[in-house]
Amino acid sequence: MTSTPIRRKLMRMLLLTSGIVIVFTCAMFVTYEVVTFKQTLVRQLDILGKAIAQNSTAALAFQNPDDARVVLSAFKADPHIVSAALYQESGELFADYPEGIARNLLPAKVQPNGYRFEGGHVFGFEPVRLNGKVLGTLFVKSNLSAIDQRIGLYALITAAVIALAVLLAYLVANRQQSEISGPILALAKTAQAVSEHHDFSVRAQSTGAHEIGVLNDAFNHMLTRIQQSETRSRAQMGRLSLLQHITAAIGDRHDLPSIFQVVLRNVEENMPVDFGCVCLYDSANTTLTVSTVGAASRHLSGALGLNAGTVVPIDENGLSTCIRGRLVYESDTRRLAFAFPQRFAVAGLHSLVIAPLLVEASVFGAFVVARRATDAFSSGDCEFLMQLSGHVALASHQARMHVALQQAYDDLRQSQHTVMQQERLRALGQMASGIAHDINNAISPISLYTDSLLEREPNLSDKARSSLGVIQRAIDGVASTVARMREFYRQREPEMTLALVDLDAVAKQVVELTHAKWSDLPQQRGISIELHMDLAGKLPGIMGAEGEIRDALTNLIFNAVDAMPDGGVLTLRTFSRTGPAHSSLVGVEVTDTGIGMNEETRRRCIEPFFTTKGERGTGLGLAMVYGMIQRHSAEFDIESDVGKGSTMRIMFPAYTQPVMAAPRPTDGHLPTRRLRILLIDDDPIIIKALEDALAGDGHVTVSASGGQVGLDTFGAAMGTNHAFDLVVTDLGMPAVDGRRVAEGIKQRSPRTPVIMLTGWGSRMIAEKETPPFVDRVLSKPPRLQDLRGALRELISA
Amino acid sequence: MRFSALKSLRTFLVAALLVMMPATGMPAPSEYQIKAVFLFNFSRFIEWPNSAFPSAEAPFIVGVFGHDPFGAELDEVVKGESVNGHPLVVRRVDSAAEAAECQIVFIHQSEKLRLDELLSTLGNRSTLTVSDLPGAAQRGVMIRLVTESGRVRMRINVESARAASLTISSNLLRSAEIVSPNGGGRR
Repeated sequence: MTSTPIRRKLMRMLLLTSGIVIVFTCAMFVTYEVVTFKQTLVRQLDILGKAIAQNSTAALAFQNPDDARVVLSAFKADPHIVSAALYQESGELFADYPEGIARNLLPAKVQPNGYRFEGGHVFGFEPVRLNGKVLGTLFVKSNLSAIDQRIGLYALITAAVIALAVLLAYLVANRQQSEISGPILALAKTAQAVSEHHDFSVRAQSTGAHEIGVLNDAFNHMLTRIQQSETRSRAQMGRLSLLQHITAAIGDRHDLPSIFQVVLRNVEENMPVDFGCVCLYDSANTTLTVSTVGAASRHLSGALGLNAGTVVPIDENGLSTCIRGRLVYESDTRRLAFAFPQRFAVAGLHSLVIAPLLVEASVFGAFVVARRATDAFSSGDCEFLMQLSGHVALASHQARMHVALQQAYDDLRQSQHTVMQQERLRALGQMASGIAHDINNAISPISLYTDSLLEREPNLSDKARSSLGVIQRAIDGVASTVARMREFYRQREPEMTLALVDLDAVAKQVVELTHAKWSDLPQQRGISIELHMDLAGKLPGIMGAEGEIRDALTNLIFNAVDAMPDGGVLTLRTFSRTGPAHSSLVGVEVTDTGIGMNEETRRRCIEPFFTTKGERGTGLGLAMVYGMIQRHSAEFDIESDVGKGSTMRIMFPAYTQPVMAAPRPTDGHLPTRRLRILLIDDDPIIIKALEDALAGDGHVTVSASGGQVGLDTFGAAMGTNHAFDLVVTDLGMPAVDGRRVAEGIKQRSPRTPVIMLTGWGSRMIAEKETPPFVDRVLSKPPRLQDLRGALRELISA
Repeated sequence: MRFSALKSLRTFLVAALLVMMPATGMPAPSEYQIKAVFLFNFSRFIEWPNSAFPSAEAPFIVGVFGHDPFGAELDEVVKGESVNGHPLVVRRVDSAAEAAECQIVFIHQSEKLRLDELLSTLGNRSTLTVSDLPGAAQRGVMIRLVTESGRVRMRINVESARAASLTISSNLLRSAEIVSPNGGGRR
């Protein structure tokens, strides 16, 4: 039993203390008694000695030893007196007691007066005086058996007293110690119970006002405190685990409503609260919009007037405090006059906590929970809600970031896709460029001969003339197609060459050019597209790049046709109207009755690479249109209804200044003087065609099949009467190309004009890439008129 | 004081002589030397009534009646001593009248013939009578000194002493032999 030690200790302590006291007391007593008894003994001996001495005076004075012996025999009365003697004044033994005692048992001579203890005896010398005169000395010796007897008696009494006292002390201590050990053992038992069962509700019994009672009270107080703090710890643990649970649950969610729903459900079930909702803050209007109401709180939504989507204005009440980033706790909503708490008071919710949702010091929402009871949220609850709102805010922020990241990622993927497509296009473009060059070279003779035939053969039949005309248009078409193909993939923005443009004319051209798209192809698929032309006529001119405008319109028509997979009506309309500030606008619009565009498509349609046509579309059509519109300071307007069709409208500022006639190529029929021309080309067919064409105009031509040969020929002819007036050279040739030929010619004869013919020609012209030393670039296939015009200009210059 | 010291020394010397002589081979004290000390010691153990003295300053007279066997011994013993303020003096007397003025009177055995006359003269006067005359105690002498085997003993006639209004110390009586005038004696 654990109680034994303290009991035993207390007993031992008490018994030891009383034992020591008793023994000490007895020892003192015995010592005192022994000392006192010795003194008494000495005094008695002294008195006896003095009496005997007094009685011995006559014996001594009258020299009567017999009488002295008689006197001494009085010592018989005291059995402890072992010996006695009378000495004369001279020191001579006078009388002895008991009579005849051995001399060696008596002192040989008289010693100083007084009594002393020695060897278990007490003895003393007493002077015998008569009238102050010393007659002799009395010697008395007593044994100490009286003392021994006394000490023995004392020892007996002391032992009895000690035994009795210890017995009494034991009985008393045994009774008294329980007064101390009892409460302590009870306290110990209580403490043991607490530590074994972790039950902090037990209490030690109070035992009164003394120190152990105080100890008990302190212990109980401590238990109460521990119980409270344990309760708090449990609550805190519960909240922490709830917080952890919620955090984990919202961690995998990336959309705000889902996050809010999870949080609200957990708080409603586990905290719990009677009402919970999350509001989002609209800083522009300073309002809160209820985003999500907890599932278990919805039956209260009606009474509160707080449903998803409800807008709550923020005035100078608790909400504004919350919006400034502080948690608001209203312990009794009935005492608050503000509208928002009043809603809760009316709905029977008397405690209200509004926690801000804070991300990077800015509030984007509020977390609202309420309970029916008054003052129902502890500081721990508020702390928890503050932490929870922090986590929710973070999760919401992350969710938003996640969405933004996803968006960015999608955009990036799109961009990557686009770049790859562009790369493919670029490769395709380079290939197309080569093809275009070859085609231009190939059709050059056709073009030259067709022109020559139509011009120089008056005897041609009408049918032949007609056929040649078709050939000529076809060649133009091919050239135009090839040119567009190149335009399509060219990478650098062309330098815009502005000129007065007649929109009606351009519209007409585009309709003709796109005939195949809107008429022939649909017909092949068995659908019909009706074209309506609604041209204003006599429109004011606009300053612009006709090619770009034409390309833009072509694109719009293509889009319109693509938007009508089941056929429909395509309308091309031009108009003029008065714009803002009395400016005059000239517009063109393309309308279809196709599938139309939804809002997102309408918004994004001008983004580069945005397409609804899948692999068929590049996503560049409208982007190019938009680029053109921006370069022309025009306006672009899109009207579209899903399922009804779209209208694309472009409005250009009208050109109002006096019209400066663009330098128009003059009629190429006027002959120039007879020229001596050096033709350099590695393609003999082109050489032949050019020779024939120029010879038809009366010029003399000499041909060279390569750059070096050409330069040699030119050099050889210099200074003779058959020197060359002009050089026509191809650009792309092996070894010495057109540029070096031109350079060589100018070195030899700076004044000799050089015309460069090239399959890349139109591009060079457009980009103003006229190489040095070249006076004119003509694109293949060369038109006879262009060639003539160039000759005339260069020679007359 | 000075006298007293000298006296003590002298007494000591006498006592020393008395006791140590046999051991030292020195001559033992003479009989009358001892008797002189006895006479002196009587003044210590016996009380005299005040009427025994004519005045408070009167001397305490030790008288030697008739023949003086002491010589200077007695004078030596009492010299400088006193009893209750009465200085001790030795006086040789030859008449009963003179003896009557003494407090102690020693009667030598040679004065046997004048004894009765003296005793009758003294009557009940407070004069201690001491003698070494055989049978003196029976005749009315208060203390008779007897020499037995070399030691001096006393025989005291208590009735004579009482009649003379002398009080004898019991100590003295215990060491003496008491006799009555009718010849009876006890020890």
